[in-house]
Amino acid sequence: MSEIKRLVFGGLLCVATVAVPPLTACSRDADGSGAANAAVEPGAAGQETAAEFAPEPGGEFEEPADSGSAQEDQPGEPPAAEPAVAPTTAVASEGSRENPRDGPGEHFVYANPHVIGDLDPSSAFSSEHIVLQNVYETLTRLTDHDGTTTEQLSGVLAESWTANDDATVWTFTLREGVTFHDGTALTPQAVRDSLHRTIDLGLGAAFILAPIEFMEAVDDRTIRFDLSYPAPLDLIMSANFGVYVISPNAVTQDNAWFNAGNAAGTGPYMLESHDPAVSTRLVRYDDYWGGWSEGQVATVDIRLTEDPVLAQQLIRNSDAHYTFNLPFDVYDSLADRSGVDVVIGPSMISLFGLLNTRRLSPEVREALVLSFPYDEITASLYGGRAVRSRGIVPQAMWGSHPELEIPRTDLEAASRLLDDAGMTDISIIYSYDAGTIEQQQIGEVWKAGLATIGVDLVLEPLTFDARWAKAKADPDGAQDVFVMFWFPTFVSPYDFLYSVFHTEEEPFFNLGYFSNGEFDTLIDEADTLSGTDRYGAIELFRRAQEILVDEHAGVFMLDVPQAQAIRSEFRGFVSNPAYSQVVRFYELHRR
Amino acid sequence: MAARGRVRHFGCDAVRGGKRSAIQRWSGLLGTHGDAIWHYRRSRLGMVTAAVALTFVVGAVFAPWLTPFAAAGRGVPDLSNRLRPPGAIHWLGTDELGRDVLARLLFGARASLVVAVGVVALSVLVGVVVGALSGYFGRWIDEVLMRITDAFLAFPPLLLAVLVAASLGASLRNTVIAISVSWWPWYARQVRAQVLSLRTRPFIQAAQAIGAPSRRTIAVHIVPNVMAPVWVQATADIGAVVLTAAGLSFVGLGPRPPTADWGVMIADGRHYVLSGQWWIAGFAGLAVVVVAMAFNLIGDVMRDVADPRTRGQLR
Repeated sequence: MSEIKRLVFGGLLCVATVAVPPLTACSRDADGSGAANAAVEPGAAGQETAAEFAPEPGGEFEEPADSGSAQEDQPGEPPAAEPAVAPTTAVASEGSRENPRDGPGEHFVYANPHVIGDLDPSSAFSSEHIVLQNVYETLTRLTDHDGTTTEQLSGVLAESWTANDDATVWTFTLREGVTFHDGTALTPQAVRDSLHRTIDLGLGAAFILAPIEFMEAVDDRTIRFDLSYPAPLDLIMSANFGVYVISPNAVTQDNAWFNAGNAAGTGPYMLESHDPAVSTRLVRYDDYWGGWSEGQVATVDIRLTEDPVLAQQLIRNSDAHYTFNLPFDVYDSLADRSGVDVVIGPSMISLFGLLNTRRLSPEVREALVLSFPYDEITASLYGGRAVRSRGIVPQAMWGSHPELEIPRTDLEAASRLLDDAGMTDISIIYSYDAGTIEQQQIGEVWKAGLATIGVDLVLEPLTFDARWAKAKADPDGAQDVFVMFWFPTFVSPYDFLYSVFHTEEEPFFNLGYFSNGEFDTLIDEADTLSGTDRYGAIELFRRAQEILVDEHAGVFMLDVPQAQAIRSEFRGFVSNPAYSQVVRFYELHRR
Repeated sequence: MAARGRVRHFGCDAVRGGKRSAIQRWSGLLGTHGDAIWHYRRSRLGMVTAAVALTFVVGAVFAPWLTPFAAAGRGVPDLSNRLRPPGAIHWLGTDELGRDVLARLLFGARASLVVAVGVVALSVLVGVVVGALSGYFGRWIDEVLMRITDAFLAFPPLLLAVLVAASLGASLRNTVIAISVSWWPWYARQVRAQVLSLRTRPFIQAAQAIGAPSRRTIAVHIVPNVMAPVWVQATADIGAVVLTAAGLSFVGLGPRPPTADWGVMIADGRHYVLSGQWWIAGFAGLAVVVVAMAFNLIGDVMRDVADPRTRGQLR
């Protein structure tokens, strides 16, 4: 099914992007030379400038005179380069069945399994991006990434941008004619104030803005960033969190104001109402800078649907048009059903179990790593669609470590380790999301294996918020294994490594309570190289991942396939692994 | 036979001095129950439902010996056999982890039986004690105990059970406690009403008149005479408790995986119903319905047996 979709991806993407407003496209490579070809050698900066509009340190990228679509209008893009991992997957099913109950086709229901908890664009750091990405906009957006060193960025609010040679001074030229939902015009000051708000709050994804030392409006369309160390700011500005541009009238408001259902972004949709326990409703912003055409989605209902069975029922009956988080076995039967398209796209979602370094000795941690049934899980529970993780960084992302030495399942070795350590007949608490059936099934399979070597894996299902609170409050008395997903805040290994393993005084997402000075230094240094020396950064990120494996910091289970179901009445859906679970309603058209 | 029951109601033994041995007391009880059993056996419905109930109990007790897939019953996955439909090897199919559904049902019956018996026993114990004390002593003791009982009755039973189970954490033992908390008040109310009508009877007054202590009067003369309707209710409640326990497990407040449990089987299996793998949730749901209905009907038949007006109409 997904193969078919990939085959027709190119053609469909053209259709899907007809209504996409003109975006500026550019690409970055390992050393910032702008070469879109992943095969560029280290140190080859300046040798190739494959993309005419590619950002070059010291150079400037401008929007082409007639740019109908980001993906279509890239004269410098290598035409036949087959990415290592298909960057995006688009729905291309034909012959869909109209359902008379759907009405005019301008209303879209997103059956959302997760609570939209925080709609403050500066502090939100969970599943809220599925709303925020449609209500607010960022300076750039990542549209393509080949899993190595090259990503393609499009301008959203930025029309063009430049960086100096060492990527410490960045200048973004803003798009003209953009207004916020309250009618205020987009200005460089608004960008500055929005980013300042995130930095000042210091919550959620604020860490990704750490390189910014100074921001200044150069003129009424240009903003300059001075960084304290080199960083890929154009990539950072494409993040899922923390970089949304807020109206000057709203930027001074507090968190409660945003969570009361207020918003003022520049996105194609305005926030109409928000009830975390029921739904979040969006309505189109008529003066959106990209304009509107017939058949586009006018109203959206992002409906809380925690029960996967209900979500299945809704999408089967066309009462909802998109969902995800269904048991994997279910997608095949959905794909066979007329009217529903199943999209299984490339993924940057990593599933892992953080091992409590305060409760578990290195020997026990190693035994747990050795005992995990990696191949059984990927082959069976995910129907062969999942790949085993090589460290926490997903293999579809640059900076992953394909040569990382990862252990094979070896219960005998695990048993020996425990015997040598005098740890027999022990209990291990496995904390997982109640209601996420794959996490339960993984726990049950792992438990059966561990039982054969005298380890009792106690499965502890709780809601994520409950177990997260417990894990943060009491590291010494909490779980032994904390199972969780991580999807990119922005496409960088630093996000995964920093968020989950960097030393924290107060635990936030480092719920294995891992602390290693060498690791911290390596990833911090790698982050500073990301903007200028991608290969150098990759080398350091890989060494950091080796430390995680050597220290048995976690059980790196698998890269989760991004499976989604969408009603085939709508075309134009693009599954972009950089924006997991995000549906850009603006890009959808009713067939 | 029936006369013996009436003799007990008139409390002849008490009048005679209350010096009956334990054996005599139990034989009296057995006599009453033996009478009831004789009537019960005349009911075809009673026998069919009793057979179902017996199957449930035997299946639960002897689960490891009744299936070749005992490991699956205990939760060991077999991923090479996932989601197999009912067939010659796996009569009721396999679940999402390749475990034999029949084995899971049998082992799940163990959890259901433990919870049902545990809840009913605990509830009867607490309910009878509270009801007897409240009805016998009356006055402020009755007021206090009945207001406490009312407080428990004020909550919807399942909601209260959910609250308690969520507070205590998910486990089989906590399931028993959670359901019992909302179950005992009904027995207390029932017993109190019976005791109120009994305590003015001459045999009770006679016992009091000869100086029998309250503890003895309650234990020897009150409680045995209020137990018949309690047993009827308790039997019917077995099915209701199985249903409630399945409900708690369904919402994640039952025993933890991979313990086999009918409610968990329904909860996990329902993910696959719409995609055609109906047998996991289907057979587990059927088991709950059949057992709950069987015990409910047994309770009905027992009530008819206990009531002389309906005893002759047994079918």
